Amino acid sequence: MKGLRAPILLTIVACAGLVFVTRPDWAQNAVEFSFHAFQDSRGVTVLAPVGSLDKDFTDRTGLRLKFGVDAIAAASDSCARCHPSGRGMQHNYFDAGIRHKFGDLKVDAGAEISRENFYSSDTGMISLSRDFNKGNTTIAGGYSFQYNQPKLHPSDNVATQWSHDMYASLTQTLSKTTILQVTYDYNRVTGYQNSPFLRTHVNDIMMLGNVPDLRNRQALAVRIRQALPGETYLEADYRHYSDSWSIGSNAISVGASHYFGPALLLGFDYRKYTQTGAFFWQPFYTGSPLYYTGDFRLQPFDSGLYSGKMVITPELGFWGMPKGTSLSLQYERYLATTNFQAATFSLGVKVPW
Amino acid sequence: MILKLLSALVLLGALFAAGCATVQPWQRGRLANPCMMFDANGQQLAFDTHWQAAREAAAGGFGVQSGGCGCKQ
Repeated sequence: MKGLRAPILLTIVACAGLVFVTRPDWAQNAVEFSFHAFQDSRGVTVLAPVGSLDKDFTDRTGLRLKFGVDAIAAASDSCARCHPSGRGMQHNYFDAGIRHKFGDLKVDAGAEISRENFYSSDTGMISLSRDFNKGNTTIAGGYSFQYNQPKLHPSDNVATQWSHDMYASLTQTLSKTTILQVTYDYNRVTGYQNSPFLRTHVNDIMMLGNVPDLRNRQALAVRIRQALPGETYLEADYRHYSDSWSIGSNAISVGASHYFGPALLLGFDYRKYTQTGAFFWQPFYTGSPLYYTGDFRLQPFDSGLYSGKMVITPELGFWGMPKGTSLSLQYERYLATTNFQAATFSLGVKVPW
Repeated sequence: MILKLLSALVLLGALFAAGCATVQPWQRGRLANPCMMFDANGQQLAFDTHWQAAREAAAGGFGVQSGGCGCKQ
């Protein structure tokens, strides 16, 4: 746990800084702090504190800042092969963005810097959205570019990878109680896409993988929200995914939330996920295969995710914080047909100013 | 393929926009509830999509991607 103190402390200091800089008499904004914990059946534990600030400077211009850490307390199987007692790792990321309204058009531009022991990533992104039909229809689109540099541990060599992502979405109010969103997402990844950590059996010899250096990915998602009488809300999401490595996937989730009085919201959600394997994925290889991989994410499997959440928003605020402050708790349990299991716990506080 | 999907999306949008009754601003009370908003809890969504992308081959479909990460071993 010693190694986790520094990132957690750093995040608390960063959040305190965010709170401090919001002291001046700016317009409406919010500070949010959350703490996530992840543990899986391999013994990997990740503690992930995140702090963010959302601030409108004027009625047309706003800013967002976000800082987070993933502190990994134990190593996965691949790390344990060389480090039997495990190895701690840390992933830090900082995200900043600005949004501005040009007439009816909303523009949001931002960047993210992400650093961890054997991987660095820099992202630039822009998105546009516009309301039509008295605010009942919203059309949005966006683009992001990512430059990734995995370090080929244990060597000091660094590989490169480029990722372009584009999306278009339509959000439509169907009635006073129903809203629907359809999104299409296209992602093109080029460059190094192996893992320097995962090995597979090729003719009974353990080898690092060799996968294509181009992957085109696309996803179509449909989401719907329905308000029912009695302060109950239903949600359903569906996503179909396919890529040029012949992986096909369907994910469907359904959930319900209910207000037990104005201050307490309880919700439950279930997500079913299925995927086929990559065209070159096999448990082991013989002969002279062109492509081979030990990447567990490329094999066929199904999974289920159960989530429960509670949000408390006392009418007069709490802990001396402003009215509207909310506290959220969420627990998730993930079970895959590969025998992989994981659980997460999240705690969040959102403070409006 | 992409063009076909985009065309379908635009067509679907046109159908929805044309076929739906306009909800007036004063009738949007329940639509403004956080439970009716997509991605109302951004930090939770980012955390979930992050660890799911480290375990599953599929990703995307819910807006611009960000935060590359090598923690997939």
